[in-house]
Amino acid sequence: MTSDARHLTPDTREQSERELLTVNMGPQHPSTHGVLRLELQLDGEVVVHCRPVIGYLHTGIEKTFEAKTYVQGVVLTDRMDYLNPLGNNLAYALSIEKLIGCEIPERATVLRVLLAEFTRIASHLMFVGSMALDLGASSPFLYVWREREKILDFFERMSGVRMMTSFIRPGGLVSDVEPAIVADMSRFLDEMPAYIDSYEELLTANPIFRERTEGVGTLSADEALDLAVTGPILRASTIALDLRKSNPYCGYDSYAFEIPTGTVGDCYDRYLVRVAEMRESVKLCRQAIDRLPEGSVRTEDRKVMPPPREELAKSMEAVIHHFKLWTEGIKPPAGEAYVGVESPRGELGFFVVSDGTGRPVRVHERAPSFANLQALPKLTEGGAVADVVACIASLDPIMGEVDR
Amino acid sequence: MPADGIPTVRVPVAELAGTVERIRHELGHNRFVDLTAIDRLTREERFELVYLFYSMQHNTWLRLKSRTDSEAPSITPDIPGANWYEREVFDLFGVRFAGHPDLQRIMLPDDWQGHPLRRSEPLGSEPVDFTVTREAYGVGSQVAGLGEEHV
Amino acid sequence: MAVTPDGKSGSPGYLLSRLEDWARESSIWPVTFGLACCAIEMMATGASRFDMARFGSELFRASPRQADLMIVAGRVSQKMAPVLREIYDQMPEPKWVIAMGDCASCSGVFNNYALIQGVDKIVPVDVYVPGCPPTPDALLDSLIKLKERVKLDSRTARHGAQTGPGVGIPHEPA
Repeated sequence: MTSDARHLTPDTREQSERELLTVNMGPQHPSTHGVLRLELQLDGEVVVHCRPVIGYLHTGIEKTFEAKTYVQGVVLTDRMDYLNPLGNNLAYALSIEKLIGCEIPERATVLRVLLAEFTRIASHLMFVGSMALDLGASSPFLYVWREREKILDFFERMSGVRMMTSFIRPGGLVSDVEPAIVADMSRFLDEMPAYIDSYEELLTANPIFRERTEGVGTLSADEALDLAVTGPILRASTIALDLRKSNPYCGYDSYAFEIPTGTVGDCYDRYLVRVAEMRESVKLCRQAIDRLPEGSVRTEDRKVMPPPREELAKSMEAVIHHFKLWTEGIKPPAGEAYVGVESPRGELGFFVVSDGTGRPVRVHERAPSFANLQALPKLTEGGAVADVVACIASLDPIMGEVDR
Repeated sequence: MPADGIPTVRVPVAELAGTVERIRHELGHNRFVDLTAIDRLTREERFELVYLFYSMQHNTWLRLKSRTDSEAPSITPDIPGANWYEREVFDLFGVRFAGHPDLQRIMLPDDWQGHPLRRSEPLGSEPVDFTVTREAYGVGSQVAGLGEEHV
Repeated sequence: MAVTPDGKSGSPGYLLSRLEDWARESSIWPVTFGLACCAIEMMATGASRFDMARFGSELFRASPRQADLMIVAGRVSQKMAPVLREIYDQMPEPKWVIAMGDCASCSGVFNNYALIQGVDKIVPVDVYVPGCPPTPDALLDSLIKLKERVKLDSRTARHGAQTGPGVGIPHEPA
C-alpha cells in the first residue's frame, strides 16, 4: 500500500457523504503501455479501487501454435513479448530441445547468451525511455532510442530483420553471426556504460523523478510472492531470485554477474534495479564475446536442423532429411517440457506438449507480465490517481504477452 | 519423470485443494508459477489442469496435474496470483473454478460464445486467396496447409 | 485538381483551397494508436533517427478529437475492434487511416478466431504498409504517399475510392 495520500488534504467528511467517481483509463491511452484498460474508482484524487481489464490484444497465439509445425511456431514466439523477441525464441527452443534431447554446439550456446543479453539491454532501454516519457521527461526517450537503434542495427545485419528475427531456433541458430558484427558489438559494449551513466544523470538524481517514484507503488516481499510476481519487480521487493543464477541454462553458471536487488520495493527501486541490470548485461555480453569459440551454430542432429546446402548436392541422405524436415517438420518424442528462463520481465517459459507428430498438442507461454500485472491494484489502491501512471510504467508490462 | 526433469504429481480433482496446501507448506514449493489446461479430448475427464510451483529454498519446480470434466476448486483465496490464471482457463477452456471471487471472461469479449482453446473448436481461419491459386483452383479456394484448421 | 468554387485557377477561392490542402498535408498529426509490435517501430519512426516530425507529424495527439491521422499499428483483436471504430468516429473530418503492418492490413501471421482479418473490415484505409513490423523507412514512405494524396485535394482524396489498383498517385495536375 502507498502512503501518498499524505500529500493530499485529508477529507474529513463522513464516508456516506463521499461520492466515488468511476474513471476509465484506456485501452487507447498514451501511458498504458499498450492496450490495457483500467477501471478506476476515485474518491477525489485517491484511487479506491483499480480493476485492470485485459484481452484487448488477445491473438489466439496458443491456438495457432497447434496448427503450425514447431519451426513455424518460432515466428509466433517473437510476437508475444515483442520487446524481447530473441528471449522468447530462446525459451521456446530450450523447451523443444529438452523434449528432443539434442546436443547444441558451444558456439551456438554462447551466441544465444550474447543475443539474449543484448535483447535485455534493448528492452531495459525502452523501459527507461517510456517510464521517463510517461512521467513527463521526453528527452531520455530520444537518447535511449539512439542506443536501441544501434542494437537493432546489429540484429538487422545478422538476420535481415530489426525486431522479429526468429534467429534462435530449436537446434541452434538459423545462421552464424559474422566476426565483423561481433567486433562492432564489442565496440558498442565499450561505449555503453558511459551512455547508461548519461541516462542516470538525467533521471536518477532528478528531484522531480524521485518525487514521483519514491514511496510510490510499494510492494512488499510477501505480497510479491503471493501475487506470482517475478523478475525485476520481485528483485526490487528485496527477493533476490534470478533464474540465470538459481536455475542456470545456456551455461549462465559459468559467467560472472551480480543480481541487483532493491530495498523498499517502490517504483524508484524498480527503475534502479533495471538500470543496474543493464550494466550487468553489458558485462555478460563482454564475457560472451571474449569466450566465443569457433564452430557450427547448428546441431548435428539432422532430424532437427537441416543439412548445409552444399551437402544436398552430394548426399542422398541429406536430401531425405531436408525433405522430411520441410514437409513433416521436427517430431519431438511424445511428452512435455517446460524450461523457465529469465526474461527482462521475469520468469518466462514455454510449456510444450508433444504427441510425437509434427505439430504440438499444446503450447502454453508462462508470460511474466501476465502475473506481474495482477499486482497493479495492490500498487495503486490507496494512492493518488497521478501515481497510477508511474506504477504501470514501473511494472513494464507488455500486453502482447499478457493477452497472447 | 518428464523430459524437463520436473517432478510431476497427479491427483484427482477432489483432492486438489488439499494437495496444493501440502505442496506449498509441507513440501516448501511456495511460489505459484503457472496454471494452464490441456484438452485431451477424452470422453471423460477431458481437461488436464497443469499447475506449476517453485521452491524458493531448493530452486526446483514441481508440477501438479489433475483431470476434470468441467469443475475444479479455486486456489485463488489462498494464492491471489492464481486469480487471472483461473479466469484464463475458464475463458479459453470452460473449466469452472468453485470459490473464485470473480470468474469472468478475461481474454475474449464478455459476450463471446464458446471456448476457443478446446481442441474441438476450429482455429477460425479465413481461406487465403492468392492469385496463383486462384488460377489453378478457382476463387476463394483453400489450399491444403494454408490456414488449416487443427481438430 | 482542387475543386474551386468558380472553376478558375488563380481565383481567390482556388488559392484558398490550395492553401488549405498545403496546410493539411504539411501537418498531419497522428493519434496514439499503437497496439502491438508495430507500435515499437512507430515509436522508432518518431525518435531521432527517422524523425517523423520533419514530415509534419510533429506530435502524436492522445485525443482523437485533435488528430487527423490514425496509424493502426498492430493487431486488432475482436475485443479491440469496437474501440477502434469509436476512436475513428471521434476523429473530425478530414481524417485518414494508415494500416501499418501485416496484422492491420490482413491479420498477418494470425489467421484465426481472435483477430479482425484486416482493419479495413471496420474502417476505410488509405495506405497499407506491408511488413512485420514494417521498418520505419516503410512507414515514412507510406506517410509520404499519404501526403501526396492529401496535397492533391485534402477534402475528397480519401479512402482509396479515387485510385484503382495499380494506378499510381498522380502528381501535380497539368
